[in-house]
Amino acid sequence: MAMSLIGPDNPLGHPAPYWFLVLFKTLGFTLHILPMHLWYAGLPAMLLLRRHGGEHGRRTADRTLGAMPVAIAWGVNLGIVPLLFTQVAYYKVFYPATILMAWPWLAIIGLLTVAYYGVYAYALGLRAGRLAPWRVAAGWSAALLLIAIGWLFANAFSLMANVDGWRGIWNATGFAGAVLGTGLNTADPTLWPRWLMMLGLALTTTAAWVVFDAAVLGAGETPAWRAWASRFALRLHALGAAWFAVTGAWYVFGAMPETGRDALAAGGWRLVTALTAVAPGLVWLAILIVARRAARAAAGAGPTPGRAAGILTLGAQLVVLALNAVSRQVAQNGELAPHLDVAAGRVNTQLGPLVLFVALFVAGLGVVVWMLRQAAAAAAGRRRAGEEAR
Amino acid sequence: MHYPWWHVPLLTAPMLIAIVSVAHVYVSMYAVGGGLFLAAETQHARRTGDRAYLAYLRDHAKFFILLTVVYGAITGVGIWWTIGLASPLATETLIHAFVFGWAIEYVFFAVELAAAFVFYYYWDRLAPRTHVRIGWIYAGAAWISLVLITGITAFMLNSGRWPQTHAFWDGFFNPQFLPQTLARTGGALLLASLYVNLHAALRIREPGLLAVVARRAARPGLLGAALVALGSLWWYAALPASARLALVGAAALNILVMVVLGASGVVLAMLYLGPYRRPGWVTPGFAILLFCFGLAGVGAGEFVREAVRKPFIIHDVIYGNQIWKDEVESLRGRGYLAGGVWTRAWLAARHPEVVTPGGAVDESALAALPAEARLRIGEVLFEHHCNDCHAARAGLSAVAHLAGGWTDEMLRQLVLHPERVQFFMPPWAGTLAEARLLQEYLGSIAEPFPAGLPRGDQFKAEPGAGGRADAR
Ligand code: HEC
Ligand code: HEM
Repeated sequence: MAMSLIGPDNPLGHPAPYWFLVLFKTLGFTLHILPMHLWYAGLPAMLLLRRHGGEHGRRTADRTLGAMPVAIAWGVNLGIVPLLFTQVAYYKVFYPATILMAWPWLAIIGLLTVAYYGVYAYALGLRAGRLAPWRVAAGWSAALLLIAIGWLFANAFSLMANVDGWRGIWNATGFAGAVLGTGLNTADPTLWPRWLMMLGLALTTTAAWVVFDAAVLGAGETPAWRAWASRFALRLHALGAAWFAVTGAWYVFGAMPETGRDALAAGGWRLVTALTAVAPGLVWLAILIVARRAARAAAGAGPTPGRAAGILTLGAQLVVLALNAVSRQVAQNGELAPHLDVAAGRVNTQLGPLVLFVALFVAGLGVVVWMLRQAAAAAAGRRRAGEEAR
Repeated sequence: MHYPWWHVPLLTAPMLIAIVSVAHVYVSMYAVGGGLFLAAETQHARRTGDRAYLAYLRDHAKFFILLTVVYGAITGVGIWWTIGLASPLATETLIHAFVFGWAIEYVFFAVELAAAFVFYYYWDRLAPRTHVRIGWIYAGAAWISLVLITGITAFMLNSGRWPQTHAFWDGFFNPQFLPQTLARTGGALLLASLYVNLHAALRIREPGLLAVVARRAARPGLLGAALVALGSLWWYAALPASARLALVGAAALNILVMVVLGASGVVLAMLYLGPYRRPGWVTPGFAILLFCFGLAGVGAGEFVREAVRKPFIIHDVIYGNQIWKDEVESLRGRGYLAGGVWTRAWLAARHPEVVTPGGAVDESALAALPAEARLRIGEVLFEHHCNDCHAARAGLSAVAHLAGGWTDEMLRQLVLHPERVQFFMPPWAGTLAEARLLQEYLGSIAEPFPAGLPRGDQFKAEPGAGGRADAR
């Protein structure tokens, strides 16, 4: 007799309606992946580029590598948001899945600390203009560790949806009815394509970032470099998009359980699914246009693509990521459907704290924007002063 | 119970929470106190035009960022990772009760992070007034995040009216909230003072500057010590009765409390006599020693704070072994094995003959199982009902040692009424038949009565009998 392994409802009920929880979960995840992609595929790509990309490649890599510590800080910080709302709305599958793989899951904390300091060691060396061999080694180790961490995340989040796989892991790693916490979701065919798909998508985000960097942050650089960077971004994006297409097809058609696929094809979600599949192509077209204009500008035959081009490209990539976040949620709900209805359950809205949160969220955003504008103004003032001095 | 139980050999899973928490608190308190220090002192140095001091503060800010933004932030996430693994029911419940508390705290984290980066990376590019203002934004956001998390952790120690009302603010403004906020604010100031002394002693070559830094850093430290003392007294007064008794009743806690008091006294004396009165005393050795005493005090304090909650993990709501207080009644009727999602599935897979199609456990069938199977089920009961606080054969508070030499009758009483043996154990939450299986398992692992020690029943005279004979 196989009994359900899904636990009871928490008697407190959901503190907000399901739509609110899942909205913040997907929104938070969208914002988490943007910086995460930069260190996930962007870090190894930039380390390679720095070695083999010639003078312009080196310039491109240095700029992005220098920003890496800040990217990690924000990526980790933004990861907290989906984690919080996952634990509210998906606790019945989140805790069992992570407990079954407790040690690998906990190892993320240690690995991430090491990787993060590795990235700092590299970036500080870069800033000081002295990249000692140990710093290079630290950078590469961090890149490998971060890819491994991504694999652990893919394990955890695929195991959450793979309720039928829990029993096998429990039997293999059980101890007196308890678990040793040494399991992994490697028996699940979705694990590998899911992990690889995210890496491919990460390459496209890195490409969009390079365009943004060249058009917005790197306004003071030469037109030749800016043209080179956009052309490089175009090729990087093409590689990432092809990779994403292949592994995505493998994931959806070759590995995903039917209930997940059905959910992706049901009703209005069909449109979202289709958009998720084609949207990277649209970003590629945007980069193509930017790259052409940048090439013309470098040849002296037109203006360089301005800030708007960079902002639009990165914004379009953010839409791609949002579509991905929504689609994976749809598929996950579909995979979980035979075991639990995620939207069901009592709701006991904590209105006062909810309103306070939304108000403080807006106020906090205002303070952050104010500080960033102070920083931008200070940087611009410094640049102007430099130009006047010259 | 409702979730799979994570068996961590020797240590027990909840012990990992304590370890990660202490590792985090060492830095998160500094993240608050150090932020206040940097804001106030940058303002002071800019106002007085003290360039050497300002340069030192900048150097300190770099160290501060490298430690708090990386290690501090990730170990903070690490606590969350660990509580979800080792204490899932309590975590799930805290998150349902306080999700917006955490969400608000997140907002302040984000402000903190942005402020820290702008404060450090744009140190000499911002107008001085703006720079100082951003320092204060950091300090304010960090302190508010301390207040917010204190509301939630203090709730676990004394949940006040919340069990009756389930209202967010009743839980947040619990009886422990103010005392702990006070104590933690003081701790943050005190610890920051030790960090600054340590960093300055290691980095500053020029004795005059070192004296300035040491003395200025000592002042918030002394204020912090006063707040800690005040907050701790109030904390003690606001403890629930069980926690107060545990504090004085448990030997391990007695020792930890002595460590806290002793280390705090030494820190206070060193801080006052050294950095405050004679900053010339501050050498790397002195600062390292001071710092270590500080860590010892804070670490022991955190252990005490975690330990006195027993038998609860959330006071009056959830027991340390992941059972709702309200659930005990029904588990005693229905059975622990049948009541837990994972124990029920385990039993149904291993011994389908004792589980009815409806998922109930047949008591008499359970009792009729062969001895080998009964021991294994007893072990399952131990893992889920006791392993939160005890290892089995070896390790932390191993029951094989604690119950060494116990008779069957003592074990029977222990299982049926753990709270009578030690009030910081949760009551038994199963049937009589299950209690019997656990008792048999305990009997099979408990150390025998030590060889060579005389037992009372070896003596011919009954207690009391001889006394009467003498009197006659
Ligand atoms: C919430 C934590 C907790 C749980 C759950 C718990 N205990 Fe204990 N137990 C303690 C503490 C604390 C002590 C005090 C001794 C020590 O470990 O330092 C103790 C003491 C004991 C002792 C020694 C008693 C004595 O007077 O010397 C035994 C035996 C024991 N427990 C068995 C058990 C068994 C069996 C279970 C499961 C039914 C259990 N405990 C569940 C916390 C717990
Ligand atoms: C410690 C800070 C981090 C937190 C709190 C965090 C949080 C999360 C959460 C909650 C998700 C799932 C979102 C959802 O399904 O809605 C997620 C996904 C993911 N994260 Fe992070 N993350 C962190 C750090 C990292 C790091 C360092 C990496 C390394 C590359 C990483 C890579 C990933 C990947 C690859 C996924 C997708 C996994 C999948 O579903 O297959 N994250 N993260």
